[in-house]
Amino acid sequence: MKSISHDRWALLVSAVILLVLPLVASGYVLYIVNLLMVFVVLSLGMHVVIGEAGQFALSHTAFYGIGIYTAGLINTACHPPFFISILAGGLLSAVLGYVIGLLALRMRDIYLALATFAFGEAMQWVFLNWDKVTGGSNGMRMQPAELFGLKLTNDLQAYPFVIGVAALMLWLTVILSRSQYGSCLRAVRESEVAAMAMGINVKAMKQSAFAISAAFAGIAGGMYTLFTSFIHPESLGFQTTILVLTMVVVGGIGSVRGAVLGAIVFGLISELLRQALSVQEIIYGVILMGFMMFKPKGLFAGNQKRAATVITPAASA
Amino acid sequence: MSLNDSWLFLQQGVLSGLVTGSVYALLAIAIVTVFKTTDVPNFAQGEMFMIGGYVALTLLLIVKWPYAVVIPLTLVIVAMGGALFQRVVMERVTGSKGVGVQLVIATLGLAYGLKGLVRQTGLGDTPRSLPPLVSGDAVLIGDAVLTRLDIAIFMVALVVMALLYLMFNKTRIGKAMRAVGMNPRAAQIVGIRLSHIRMLVWALSGLISGLAALLIAPKVLITPDIAHIAILAYAAAIVGGFTSLPGAVLGGFIIGILENLVGLFISTNAIVVAPFLAILLTLIVRPQGLLGGKPQLKKV
Repeated sequence: MKSISHDRWALLVSAVILLVLPLVASGYVLYIVNLLMVFVVLSLGMHVVIGEAGQFALSHTAFYGIGIYTAGLINTACHPPFFISILAGGLLSAVLGYVIGLLALRMRDIYLALATFAFGEAMQWVFLNWDKVTGGSNGMRMQPAELFGLKLTNDLQAYPFVIGVAALMLWLTVILSRSQYGSCLRAVRESEVAAMAMGINVKAMKQSAFAISAAFAGIAGGMYTLFTSFIHPESLGFQTTILVLTMVVVGGIGSVRGAVLGAIVFGLISELLRQALSVQEIIYGVILMGFMMFKPKGLFAGNQKRAATVITPAASA
Repeated sequence: MSLNDSWLFLQQGVLSGLVTGSVYALLAIAIVTVFKTTDVPNFAQGEMFMIGGYVALTLLLIVKWPYAVVIPLTLVIVAMGGALFQRVVMERVTGSKGVGVQLVIATLGLAYGLKGLVRQTGLGDTPRSLPPLVSGDAVLIGDAVLTRLDIAIFMVALVVMALLYLMFNKTRIGKAMRAVGMNPRAAQIVGIRLSHIRMLVWALSGLISGLAALLIAPKVLITPDIAHIAILAYAAAIVGGFTSLPGAVLGGFIIGILENLVGLFISTNAIVVAPFLAILLTLIVRPQGLLGGKPQLKKV
């Protein structure tokens, strides 16, 4: 129970900070917060497929990109309320994620990682070369997202909505994690054979985890279109997947808290050191090796025991 | 495209493919050896290769030592770096119950660190090649044109592969490496020191990376992003079967030839995506690769 109250405190403090921030902070700070929220949702999505279901998928950025392009194109074409374009991106990503999930039924571990990695790289190639739709290597300008005639043209206007969507996704993740479905995912992670023996449909679990994770990434992409008007495929490569993987792993595999905190820490490092690429890379390298050497389970080790008590909904998130 | 042109393209594609493929094959061998003995897919393979290129570049163009010193020194430095990484970092990660994910992330950390280091030194700002030891004169084989340098690269790569074959099959060290790859516990029981062998394997992979870098560096510009070449080596390893050394060689040649044929027949734009399609296709159609034997299934 103690940890739950800690979480409540953390949420309360973050809520206060997030409320006060737009009154005092500059546009750049708000931009960073918006971006961090996108990373939080990306990281939560990867948490679902890697942390809960134990499927090593490295195609996250592909779905993120699909979300961005879908939402951006819809916004540009017909100016619907922004939640419609975000949902469309999430839905398309989910469908594709479900299809890619087929891979997970045939392979595991390193093979799955490499196959999904290859899919991710192939998607980046599509973004780069499908000139008619994505603008190719020139990047794509997007019309601002709208809500009933109100155009979201700067970071401040987008801020409440970005925060709102991120909070919603966090809440959904906690619900998922505490539900029987979440327990089933963890059972699959711990032992497929045991899960199967208990009557869990392992294939459906794996594929749906892929779809949900992809939906999260797609929605994160839609969130990105709320406060930016330009996207270039350069930023949709393997490095982004690795960045998100780092957030999840250093935060603590299998822990929602870890995914959120990891996203904030590494999102900040990556954004603040954007100008000094070499320093950023060295710091990453040292953090990654150091954590794996001395704290391989991450900041918040996931509760590994939970899967042993499947079916009864778990008590803590 | 006339039939004559196609025939010419085919010859050129296959021959050029064999040359680049031989370098991919070397790197794929390094990946597979490390994976078999330590269960780590080394995501820093490309960066080790890049470091090899930069060490040689520094020694040759900045310190201005002759090739006769630079070649062995480069190999020793990269090999020792590999051994050091295994000894200091990977041993510790394995020791703290690190499993697949953690080990992979640690190699990613190495990849980031090496890339950052090279950028930090500023060496990466001006892409350079090594001065070639062999002249770039053209040689006509059939209807295809190769340079003398290409032929030298191919020959040296073949010799190295032959030496590796001998090492793995005739020497005690090589046999011990294979034994650890087959069954680490049994290998330990017959008196093989696991940590020792794993260190040697990483040293070997460093050595091969350094060699590959020395071979290809006169032909291409060295940049911090040259590590991307490892993706082709990964594709080669997967196409050949991730646990098979002959498979890695075969895969290397296949990927090299495929890359060149795609470039000649389809478009240079498609070259980038070809290895990924090869990876996806292999994993979907024949996950164990061409020479990977039966797929392994882990139970409970």
